[in-house]
Amino acid sequence: MHNLTQEHLADAIGVNRQTILAIEKEKYVPSLDLAFKISRYFGVNVEEVFIFNEKTPTIMET
Amino acid sequence: MKKNIFYLLVGCIAFALLLIFWYSVELHVSLFIELAFIVGVVLIILARNKVTDKVDDERDIKITEQATIRTMQIFWIIFCLFSIGAVMELLHIPEFPRLSPSIHTPVILPPRLMGYIQLGLLCLMIFLHVGFRIYYAKKYGEFDTDEE
Repeated sequence: MHNLTQEHLADAIGVNRQTILAIEKEKYVPSLDLAFKISRYFGVNVEEVFIFNEKTPTIMET
Repeated sequence: MKKNIFYLLVGCIAFALLLIFWYSVELHVSLFIELAFIVGVVLIILARNKVTDKVDDERDIKITEQATIRTMQIFWIIFCLFSIGAVMELLHIPEFPRLSPSIHTPVILPPRLMGYIQLGLLCLMIFLHVGFRIYYAKKYGEFDTDEE
């Protein structure tokens, strides 16, 4: 959709590519700070990128 | 400083420490290696702060944090097992009533054995930390791959 690689996103928000992959695969739940950085990068609200789940917050498919 | 240069520097420091350790053993003076170890650690910390292309993000910090906490939890128990035994030996008094007045001399472990125990504890701590680090790295997706 954004024609964006994990490497580009990781560089843009200052994390490793493996962290982006771990978030996508729901292995790692990002901090609020990182969640906001990701959502701001895409210019959307945090709720549009992440879904709050009581057990494991998950990322929405874009 | 680039990351690879930093790793090269760490390798050089480790090699130098090994040589100083050997020299200390030959001279039987532990002060050399003790001072060299402190200097080595300080140099590594200073060099680490100069690395420019290193990205320690929050996931890396969390992996390190979790591994350290678990290592300390287990190491604390094992260390206490040894310490309780040693303290019990120090506090040992003859049975009451004292039938024969005798002075109890605590059994003191020979320095060589103490060295082996400390070496064992140090190795245990390193293995525990590495093991937990691998476990948490795997848990937080360090070894995952994708199609990209």
